[in-house]
Amino acid sequence: MQKTITEQNLRALIDLLVKKGTRVVGPRRAGSITLYEPLASGGELILGELPRRSAKEAFFPLCENILSFEKTTEGVKVADVDPSQFPETVIVGARPCDAAAPGILDAVFSWDYKDKFYLERRRKTTIIGLACTSCDDACFCTSVGLSPADPRGSDLFLTPLEGGGYACEAVTEKGEKLLAEFPQLFTDAEAAKALPQAEPAGEKLDLARIKSWLDGNFENPLWAEISERCAGCGACAFVCPACHCFDIVDEGGETKGCRRKSWDACGFGKFTNHASGHNPRDAQPKRYRNRIMHKFKYYDDKFGKTLCTGCGRCIRACPVGIDIAAVLEEISKK
Amino acid sequence: MIDLAKKIEAPATIDITAYAGATEAIRAEAAKLLTEGAVAAVIGYIPGRRNGTAIPAIVTSPEKAQELIFSPACVNNLALYLTRAKKEVKGKGRLAVVAKGCDMRALAGLMGESQLKREDVVIIGVACAGVYGSGADRDAPLAEKNIARKCRECRVHAPEGADVVAGSLPPLPEFSPVEAEELARLEAMTPAARWAFWKEHFSRCIRCMACRSLCPFCYCEQCICDRNRPQAVEATPRPAGNMAWHIVRAMHLAGRCAGCAECERACPMDIPLNLLNRKMARELKELYGHEAGLEPKEKGPLNEYREDDDQSFIK
Amino acid sequence: MCDHKNIYLPHLATIEEIIDETPDVRTLRLVFQDEDVRENFTFRSGQFAEYSAFGAGESTFCIASSPTRKGYIECCFRSVGRVTEALRGLEAGDTIGVRGPYGNSFPIEEFYGRNLLFVTGGIALPPLRTLIWNCLDQRDKFGDITIVYGARSEADLVYKRELREWEERSDVKLVKTVDPGGNGPEWDGKVGFVPTILDEAAPSAENTVAMVCGPPVMIKFTLPVLEKLGFSDDAIYTTLENRMKCGLGKCGRCNVGNVYVCKDGPVFTARQVKAMPQEF
Repeated sequence: MQKTITEQNLRALIDLLVKKGTRVVGPRRAGSITLYEPLASGGELILGELPRRSAKEAFFPLCENILSFEKTTEGVKVADVDPSQFPETVIVGARPCDAAAPGILDAVFSWDYKDKFYLERRRKTTIIGLACTSCDDACFCTSVGLSPADPRGSDLFLTPLEGGGYACEAVTEKGEKLLAEFPQLFTDAEAAKALPQAEPAGEKLDLARIKSWLDGNFENPLWAEISERCAGCGACAFVCPACHCFDIVDEGGETKGCRRKSWDACGFGKFTNHASGHNPRDAQPKRYRNRIMHKFKYYDDKFGKTLCTGCGRCIRACPVGIDIAAVLEEISKK
Repeated sequence: MIDLAKKIEAPATIDITAYAGATEAIRAEAAKLLTEGAVAAVIGYIPGRRNGTAIPAIVTSPEKAQELIFSPACVNNLALYLTRAKKEVKGKGRLAVVAKGCDMRALAGLMGESQLKREDVVIIGVACAGVYGSGADRDAPLAEKNIARKCRECRVHAPEGADVVAGSLPPLPEFSPVEAEELARLEAMTPAARWAFWKEHFSRCIRCMACRSLCPFCYCEQCICDRNRPQAVEATPRPAGNMAWHIVRAMHLAGRCAGCAECERACPMDIPLNLLNRKMARELKELYGHEAGLEPKEKGPLNEYREDDDQSFIK
Repeated sequence: MCDHKNIYLPHLATIEEIIDETPDVRTLRLVFQDEDVRENFTFRSGQFAEYSAFGAGESTFCIASSPTRKGYIECCFRSVGRVTEALRGLEAGDTIGVRGPYGNSFPIEEFYGRNLLFVTGGIALPPLRTLIWNCLDQRDKFGDITIVYGARSEADLVYKRELREWEERSDVKLVKTVDPGGNGPEWDGKVGFVPTILDEAAPSAENTVAMVCGPPVMIKFTLPVLEKLGFSDDAIYTTLENRMKCGLGKCGRCNVGNVYVCKDGPVFTARQVKAMPQEF
């Protein structure tokens, strides 16, 4: 016997959660595109599309205040951000490539110094993952060791069934809690057959082999070859579920304002630029090299993980057609 | 200019076999230029890994030139690689560039702004019936539903002023002018509605700067939005900074924008940036009779001061 | 319930004293406003901090004072950017933010009983000055102490009063130099570039550790001289000064290869630096 839920009840679940004050984030129509955004009702949930940006912003927003300050005659008053303002959140319909990302990012946001902004949101968030039954030619999750039906990172995982509805697998305690809280929405049933999962076209890559090539090829003509076309924008990093680089800036007025943490990208020329004008990564190939190295070597060296889930967003978003899956394929053949 | 009568008789889809001829001609011309040593590199397109995609390539050998293609997937405006923002490419030496008719406007504009000398570049023009739109079906024949918006109203299918023109044009269908309709809708809005319209769009901006990075005219050594002494434009993706950035962008491109729509194509958030560019272009035409990119002019009207400029708006 | 503190929240400190080292290099002496912090703030020579001018942002500098001098910390900076200009705009009594201390430090305990050689140029003296005073304040634990310090011109020498003090002390040898043309009529030091002057001074490598800090070009030409003098790569220490934002190993910009300068550094041996990708 297995828990199942109908699409109608899945939307009802959202309605009930919203009603009790939980922030529910899921794929939602935003103008001409789909984004993971707070849902006002179950009806807003878009089920058939991979949102243009990843779900990481539920934990690590594009931009957030990390403190506020005010200069008075007595000095400067600095106010902390109250973590209780981070609401209990349920992410509904996260694709495996998005659900897996926080598990990777946890490492960097919690090593030694703990980033409460990320970790507190993470603690308060339950992820309802959703298996993919279709994909496009940019998807390559299977190449980096994930799969369209991979429940890793999800608390509750939904698998679309033939004839409609979803099989529900409680992956974690958080998932079980959700099942227990809304028993009326889930049915114990002899599950129907699962719809066939999507089949991304790429071959499974040997990430260890790729890493070992990266270990020895900081200097290689490949970097210029791949990236001299790179225009140096941040589109790839900003749609990526795993890119975590950020900037810290003060904004507001001279006497009153906020310090903000906002997404940054290693492709930007000024990312590593010193105030003196010296720039260790003074050319685009050096910056692109850092992107690949960070994802497939440095992060692995530090945390034993690959900083990529194969969602393919950077491939779709790159305005000059840089294709990370093609790059990895090329490296793996070397 | 394409003959209108011919358009009306044309089929609803574009016969892209004509693009194969352009491919052959580009390969031959590129190989010749590289063999002769007339150029150090040819900037063109090669196939991407994914079916129906093409990516910019900087080709430096005659052998590699045989990989060059032209197809409806050749969306990029390669003039980008001739600007000083792409020092690595410019540093290679004399360059040849594959240019569609619409890309020619950017080249003319760059020459007008003294960023490029005509004699320093070999222009391999290409007859182009149109390219795919963003997110379009790349397997289907090029037609109404998957052609880029800018191509529907294109008046420069055959490039003028190139050193050679590769390929020939197939019969062209008549498409409804969605860009013109969109602009008309925008202009019909009240100022308040227009403000709300742009505010909504700009609120989605994530400041990835793809619009700037892909623009052939965003070659400033230091963009005003990267300056912080003083900070003219807030750097974070928030309403005030986003609005300021997009106003700065539109104003600085007014009278210079060559209409390639690369900003709009590059935007991962689907902000209709070229609609704003086209609106600005129309304003410039009405106010100054100026149209960018038709010929290498010295400066656009907003980049130039004349004693007899109309000053009646200063009150 | 959240059991984590806000790691981005700085301590507040009052500028107690401003010392202009050169026309554009300034020292700020800072006293923490919170009594607990004032009493419990500890750091080691080589560690750095993030200093905020509220409204302008944060900037990264080493803690330039010695941990042996209690009750205050000092930073020293040249105004070159938005934050440093704003910091320069502050007056004694004003408030700034301090986050830290961050990063690793010089393993001073390993230097006990050994001779010390400091080689530095221009604005790169502050990261060594903390260690120099730290050692001078426990002078009996070390052998000979030699300092080779150069700047473009006399005016560009920082900590001028301390240079005089070191000159006058018999237990430390200061070799000061300015680039050719940088000397005035009164100059009583050497004239020449740091690597050349170091070569001339030829301090013994025997039982000696060398600390080298300076602009990349100075380091580039100093390392071969040290090698010639017999210093092994393990006996040479330097600090890397990459652009940083968080200082906490998260924001992703200070890495040199897989080394995070903010966490694994900023102090490295020459051997470690040579093993890194040469991208700094």
